[in-house]
Amino acid sequence: MTDAAPAAPRPLIDSNDSRRPHGLLLVAIPVFLVAWLVIWPIINAIGRTLWRPDATGALGFNLNSYVFFFSDQYSINNLTITLWTTLVCAIVLLAICLPISLYLRFSHGKLPAYVQAMAIFPMFVPSIILAYAFIRVLGPNGMVDILLNSVGLPKIRTPYLTPWGPVIGLVWDNIPLTVLILLSGLGNVANQAIEAARDVGANRFQVFWHIILPRISNSVLVAISFAVLGIFSSFTLPYLLGPASPEMMGPFMNRTFREVNDPLNAITQAVITFCFCIAFGLFYVRSVARNQGK
Amino acid sequence: MERLAPTTIATRRPPLVRIPTDWTGIVFAVLLSAAVIVPLLVVGVWAFTEVWRYPNVIPQQFGLRFWNQTLTRADVWAALTLSLQLSTVVTLLSAAICLPAAYAFARLSFPGRNVLFFSFLAGHAFPKFGLLIAIAAIFLQLNLIGTFWGVVLIQLVGTLLFMIWIPVAAFQSVDRRMEEAARDVGAGPFRVFWSITLPQAGPTIAAAVLLSFVGTFYETEGAWLIGAPGIRTMPVLMISFINNQMVIQYGAVLSVMLWVPSFIALMFARRVIGGGAFARGFGG
Repeated sequence: MTDAAPAAPRPLIDSNDSRRPHGLLLVAIPVFLVAWLVIWPIINAIGRTLWRPDATGALGFNLNSYVFFFSDQYSINNLTITLWTTLVCAIVLLAICLPISLYLRFSHGKLPAYVQAMAIFPMFVPSIILAYAFIRVLGPNGMVDILLNSVGLPKIRTPYLTPWGPVIGLVWDNIPLTVLILLSGLGNVANQAIEAARDVGANRFQVFWHIILPRISNSVLVAISFAVLGIFSSFTLPYLLGPASPEMMGPFMNRTFREVNDPLNAITQAVITFCFCIAFGLFYVRSVARNQGK
Repeated sequence: MERLAPTTIATRRPPLVRIPTDWTGIVFAVLLSAAVIVPLLVVGVWAFTEVWRYPNVIPQQFGLRFWNQTLTRADVWAALTLSLQLSTVVTLLSAAICLPAAYAFARLSFPGRNVLFFSFLAGHAFPKFGLLIAIAAIFLQLNLIGTFWGVVLIQLVGTLLFMIWIPVAAFQSVDRRMEEAARDVGAGPFRVFWSITLPQAGPTIAAAVLLSFVGTFYETEGAWLIGAPGIRTMPVLMISFINNQMVIQYGAVLSVMLWVPSFIALMFARRVIGGGAFARGFGG
């Protein structure tokens, strides 16, 4: 394998040629798009909500829209339900995906391959189809009700249009990436470390707690960050499966922007979601950058 | 020596993998199948159902009547055409601007290369719908709300990360020694790219293009927020079918129809997503 590792990466193109910035020209358009449609909107959103004309029309520092958000009970309720949904989803996701990934890491054969295929499958189901399937299965008179009725049991209290609706949908939607990220982290746990621990008499739980968990803690945090970023401002599933009031931040922003026609307050809500997710976003970027650097 | 060989193999295999009956696996397989396959099966059954009243476990009458009704709806055809147009335009534009950029990131050295490379993560480091609202506020001033090109722009930004990062990995995994060997025997840079680099990087790049096409086709939130009311893509039409349509089968038929491109993507993208590379791309 030594010959596969190049001692010094020799550039294909002469170094004096490749030092020239003409690579910049090739990357200019995508970079411009990111600057214009990602970086600038964020700066613009923060600027527009903080520096606004006051009653006299003079432009100045103005926190009114934020004061309004945090003094409005309806907005607070929406923020609370969003935080609740995100927290519950993160806990449920870990509770489901950690055992699956542990199982997949330490098994080989056809059955684990099938389990992995099933766990990754939701990635290829668009959330709109998921929402439709959810209603047909767990909705009123859905498949679960039909099956319960056929064996003489009472109907379920449907999670459709309750806060549990988005939770179930979002967990379903996020299982594949969480499993993939955790599996990739578990790939770094050496078999020898586990065998050594078992040789000195550690049981399964001790192996997990003392050997595996410290080695995958970073992957767990990445998986949670990724899920939180996706769930906190998710729109389609909460909009279709969740209650009308209180609603999660995604549908709330959508309604403020489109139906109430109030861009200023919609942007304020967007900036508030940025603030709640900033730590997760930074952690995510740092982890990806560190991984790529390896 | 021949007698020794099996035991050396056996000892190399860690004892952890030896599980007599894989009960854990069976439980996972059953639960996941119930949670993943059953809902989709129910949708599939609904699509071919003409009458299914509540207490019956199986539909009273199967048939294709609702396929006919769905496919003769003008709004379905308009949405399908529009979605295909959008996905094609976005994917072509994305390939045209991202593939040269990916080549530059993989092979050329220029000032700010690393910072610019990681700048594509920015779009994924913020909550997506919040970012869309911030973009929509800017599009509002530019009169891009409700226009075809507004939606193209928003979906184009969504494809950048995949269309740059996956091809960069593809270009980097091309064996440089083969390229140098080709150059040593006199091939020009274009010939090297065409005969050596592209055949090796091609399949992965094709998978990235396909992913971006399918991802754009199903992109819901940008189309919903930026496109309304003028631009009604297929997923946006589905939302209105789910919310306001009394006929259940329309949604089921559309789901099954929309499922086909997704399934093709599943087949083609396995090689990209199967590897740990994909999860590492997400920071795993």
